[in-house]
Amino acid sequence: MRNSDVYIIIPVFNEAQTIRSVIESLLPMGYKIVVVDDGSTDGTINSLDGFRLFYLRHEINLGQGAALQTGITYALMMNALVLVTFDGDGQHSAGDVDNLIKPLLLNEADVVLGSRFLPSAFTNISFFKKEAIRVARLMNFLFTGVWLSDAHNGLRAFNSKAAAALDLKENGMAHASEILFTIHQSRLRIREIPASIYYTKYSKGKGQSVLNSIKVFFDIVLNRIFE
Amino acid sequence: MIMTAIQVILFAGLIFISIYVYRRFRNAIVDAFIIIAFIAIGIILVLFPELTTRVAHALGVGRGADLIFYLSILFFFFIILKLYARIRRLEQSITKIIRENSIASSKKMKGDNIE
Repeated sequence: MRNSDVYIIIPVFNEAQTIRSVIESLLPMGYKIVVVDDGSTDGTINSLDGFRLFYLRHEINLGQGAALQTGITYALMMNALVLVTFDGDGQHSAGDVDNLIKPLLLNEADVVLGSRFLPSAFTNISFFKKEAIRVARLMNFLFTGVWLSDAHNGLRAFNSKAAAALDLKENGMAHASEILFTIHQSRLRIREIPASIYYTKYSKGKGQSVLNSIKVFFDIVLNRIFE
Repeated sequence: MIMTAIQVILFAGLIFISIYVYRRFRNAIVDAFIIIAFIAIGIILVLFPELTTRVAHALGVGRGADLIFYLSILFFFFIILKLYARIRRLEQSITKIIRENSIASSKKMKGDNIE
C-alpha cells in the first residue's frame, strides 16, 4: 500500500484561519486529502488555493457528523484503503498519522483511535474539560459497550471494511458515540494510540463547550429511542 | 342555556380550529374523522362540563379539569415525540440530498505539491 491510498478527511466549518497550515503539515506525506466544507461562509475555499486536494461542499451547514460521512462515502468511492479523520482547527498533529495507520497496515486492527490520555501523548487540556471527558467516556461505555481512554477525539483511522460499516445518521457531535456503536455492532477490532492535542485559543472557541455535551447526551438517548 | 365566559372562549376556539383544519386537510379522510371526533367530544365537554367530573371520579381523579390536564400532558408529550421523529426524518432526507449533491459536484483542486 502506498501513502496515496490513505485519504485524510478534514471536515471544516469556517476554518479559513487554520486550514492552510493544517493542510501544509499533511501534504508532504503524500496522503490524499479530502476537505469537506460544511457550508462555510468565511471563504474557507479561498484558503485552499494552490493545494492539490479533493473539495466537497455542503450547500448548508449540517454538522460535523454529516461532513465526516460525506467525506467517508466519497473516499470509499475513490477506492481509499485507509481513511483518516482529522480536525480542521489545528489541534491534531500531522506527525501522529503515521502511528495511527500502522496497526491498520499490519492488519492488527480495523479502527484506530487517537487518545490524548495515553502515556507519551501531549495535551494542554483544561481541568473542566478533562472531567467532562471522564463523564463522556463512561456514557460512551454505557451506551456503546466500548471502554476507551478518551472520548470525542476527532483523530481516527479506519480500514475500508470499517469505513464501509459506518452510516452516520447523527449529523451533530453525537456521531462520535455513533462511531463507537458501529464498531461494537460490526465487531471491528479497535486500537488506541497516543495522539497529542494542542488546544489553542482558536480551537477552544471552535470546540465543544462542556455544556454542549449535555445536548449531545440527549441526542444519543433520543437516537437510541428512534433508531 | 347560558354559557359562562370560559365556555364561550373554548367554544370559539374549537370552532376556529375546526374551520382551520377543514380548510387545510380536506383530503385526508381518516384524519378528518379523527379530528371531527375530537372536536365533537371537545364541544360536548365544553357544553356539559359535569361530564368530565363524572368520568374523573370513575377514574379516581378529584376534578374533571385535573383529569383533562393529566391527559393533555400525555397527549402533548406524544405529539412532541412524533414531531421529533418527523424532524429527524426530514433532516436525514435533506442530508442525503446535500451529500449526493456535494459528491456529484466535487472538485479536484490542482496544486504544486508533489503527490
